[in-house]
Amino acid sequence: MTPIITAENLSKHFPSRHVLGRGKPVQAVSGFSLAVRRGEAVGLVGESGSGKSTIGRLLLGLLPPSAGRVVLDGTDIGKADAATLRRLRRRMQLVFQDPYSSLDPRRTVGAQIADGLAIHRVVPPAERHGRVEALLTQVGLTAAHAERYPHEFSGGQRQRVGIARALATEPDFLVADEPVSALDVSVQAQVLALLADLRRRLGLAMLFISHDLPVVRSICDRAVVLYLGRVMEEGPAADVFERPRHPYTKALLSASPTLDPARRRTRILLAGDPPSPADPPSGCVFRTRCPWAKPACADTIPQLSNLGPGHRVACLRVDEIADIDQE
Amino acid sequence: MRRLRLGPVVAVGAIATVALLTPFLGLANPLHMDIAHRLAPPSPAHPLGTDAYGRGVLSRLLWGARVSLMVASSSSLLACVFGTALGLAGGFLRGPVEFLALRGMDVVLCFPPLLLALLVVTLLGPGAGTLIPVLVVLYLPGFVRVVYAGVISVRTQDYVEAMRSLGAGRMRIMLRTILPNVGGPVLVQLSLAAASAVVLESGLSFLGLGVVPPTPSWGLMIGAARATMAQAPLLLLWPCLALSVTILALNALCDALRDAVDPHGMTRRAHRAGILERLAPGLLPARGPALQVVGLTIAIDTPAGTIHPVRDVSLTVMPHETLALVGESGSGKSLTGLATMGLLPSIARVERGAVWVEGRDVLRLDEAVLRRLRGEMVAMIFQDPLSSLNPVQRIAPQIAEAIQAHSAGAGKAAKRRAVELLRHVGIPDPERRAHNFPHEMSGGMRQRAMIAMAIANHPRLLIADEPTTALDVTIQAQVLELLAGLRHESGMALVFITHSLPVVAEIADRVSVMYAGEIVEQGRVTEVFARPLHPYTAALLASVPREDGSLPEPIPGTVPPPSALPPGCAFAPRCRHVAAACRTGVLPLMEVEPGRLTRCCRWSDLA
Repeated sequence: MTPIITAENLSKHFPSRHVLGRGKPVQAVSGFSLAVRRGEAVGLVGESGSGKSTIGRLLLGLLPPSAGRVVLDGTDIGKADAATLRRLRRRMQLVFQDPYSSLDPRRTVGAQIADGLAIHRVVPPAERHGRVEALLTQVGLTAAHAERYPHEFSGGQRQRVGIARALATEPDFLVADEPVSALDVSVQAQVLALLADLRRRLGLAMLFISHDLPVVRSICDRAVVLYLGRVMEEGPAADVFERPRHPYTKALLSASPTLDPARRRTRILLAGDPPSPADPPSGCVFRTRCPWAKPACADTIPQLSNLGPGHRVACLRVDEIADIDQE
Repeated sequence: MRRLRLGPVVAVGAIATVALLTPFLGLANPLHMDIAHRLAPPSPAHPLGTDAYGRGVLSRLLWGARVSLMVASSSSLLACVFGTALGLAGGFLRGPVEFLALRGMDVVLCFPPLLLALLVVTLLGPGAGTLIPVLVVLYLPGFVRVVYAGVISVRTQDYVEAMRSLGAGRMRIMLRTILPNVGGPVLVQLSLAAASAVVLESGLSFLGLGVVPPTPSWGLMIGAARATMAQAPLLLLWPCLALSVTILALNALCDALRDAVDPHGMTRRAHRAGILERLAPGLLPARGPALQVVGLTIAIDTPAGTIHPVRDVSLTVMPHETLALVGESGSGKSLTGLATMGLLPSIARVERGAVWVEGRDVLRLDEAVLRRLRGEMVAMIFQDPLSSLNPVQRIAPQIAEAIQAHSAGAGKAAKRRAVELLRHVGIPDPERRAHNFPHEMSGGMRQRAMIAMAIANHPRLLIADEPTTALDVTIQAQVLELLAGLRHESGMALVFITHSLPVVAEIADRVSVMYAGEIVEQGRVTEVFARPLHPYTAALLASVPREDGSLPEPIPGTVPPPSALPPGCAFAPRCRHVAAACRTGVLPLMEVEPGRLTRCCRWSDLA
């Protein structure tokens, strides 16, 4: 099946401002490639500063890439003219993390959901009201909610409104940027169930950005683990989380608290903070915190190598580490 | 959206109507002089008397209102429209538009306003026609600045990004999304400009640079009345009164408009009840526990009535022990933590109950004793260290200050100890880091600094309110490890407030599960998580994302707000095991096994 959206070798750096002229550019993303098929959910996992939100916005064309390109259904969105871009925008949408700041506090939620319908003339004006109500019902709210203002909703309900707004343009591809991390656990499970259900019913392709590994595991087919703007490991979610091969993935999984005492692994405690993306380490960016790092890691940038069907890891010592684990 | 308050609308409407209808009121000609009856007292023909030229004061007042209000309203409205457009375009489009808009306004601001007005009027000659453009130029920078500042802060909001992501054009975003969100301050600015335009028009006319005599205007009337102030002081009163009333009405209208376009309800006004009422003395606790909370009930007075976000909470924490207070938002867990510190926000008060920290009743100590207790006996760390640390002070002096607040000592020694503490909480290179400002540190580092400050005076009890929620997992693991280590070596008790059950499983010995202001279950973590005895605990555990990849089970519905609690068990409307008995009466917290408490009347059916 052909992918609906592909990212080829995307890089993004931001110029950093310094008291004395320009500082070093911040390398937010380097050499990122991804293909998402219709109906597929890909999880983008990483800590703050890993560039995961930047990637989401690059894919949506909200940020121009410094290098590389994004292709939606055969069209390079970087080269598209304004009219084409507008048409493409309709097909990909964004769900935000913060259910409070992502809704306009001064307009009713019905009016905000109708925006997408009006901008892209999805339905004739006379049918807009009916469609807004249908969208609200689809995300588990009622038609009566259309006349209310955002502050009258709870966090979970607001996130549902955000999803309804994204669905208004009938997108094929949804970027969900930490859509449940601001929600309470019980509500988080509600929104996850909704997203899983929408994906199944509408055949939505989804890029699910999150720092919460179990959440990604529960909703995604594939997982991509990022560190300082680079892919460390990617593969089928079950593979990546059950048999992590990259030292960073292992550390991330072991640091993630768990309810299940049987699963509580020997904790690999990473020392220190992630380095600044303005000044990333040479070679492997993870080597400064990696318990297995050796001098060679500072010289060579590890490339992604295949370890199994779709499972790829960027680590020079991946074979040796597997041996160590076995002992 | 709220309804527009009627009072100010009626007031401004009345003033405007009178001004508009003046020609039809059959008043005396305001220009007709009658020297014979100059400075006459009120008469049927001239209800407010006549001025120095025998002209009717009422007639001149109303005709003058037409001129004064026309000049003020048209100039402030025009300035508002142009200024808003410029500020909006400058702030949203950036680039050259921004440069032109801002620097252009800076040039205007360089001139003292009155001087500029004098200059233009002198060049172009006085009269209402020149006055309006002069006032527009004068008020323009204010609007541009206010709108520009608003746009800059609004344009980075997620909902603006959402509009871009929806494919909305620039015009649409500017007019439909940004404009309404910067509208409030613009209306305030409009009321200021309108009011000051009325005053400035009067001032310029008074100086002879505004409206030209004999056309009536309030400024001219004040000017003319000054000459005859001794004979007819009332002449001065009428135009001044008209001026004040108009300005007040305008301000009230703009405030009402601002409130009306804001969809948020009225901000909640709260007052603090002076004394702790009906405070149950509570039995003296047995020696030992680091913290004992007995029947704590917290009340908040709202316009809709008194709500109780925390009801009948009892806890005991022994030294060396970690108790987790777990619950979703609105469960009252943070308020309970704050009450323990005697730090309740001013809108909340303790209605019943007692809090004993190391044997002292926190709720009934006076503020000075309490302040000493905080830090020495009990300390608290918060979710967001950035907002809890002073942003303009370096780290080491902040910690040193915390130390010196409790022990007399030289500043040098305190500084040395601060560095020592930073090293103790695992901050690398503490000598250098001590000189950092909070914003120069990462989130994990700030939390460590916060912990260093909290443990500076060896507290016996540390209350941690969601200390790792804002941190990345690898950093969270570090901070949890640090807290566990500190507790182990110092023997302090730890109350860990969190919404995350996996974190509870990692760090706590015992857990109290809170729901809608009450403790619903309490016991040892391993027992509670393996065999929950309250349906809420069970549902909460099932809603945690699993590591086997299955979807978590949601709990239907939402937590009821404290203002609309259901009768009986608060969880009943969302509970799968609900029975008729759950919906009535008060359900007590029962000790069903030693150390195991549950508020569920069907616990034996669940087990």
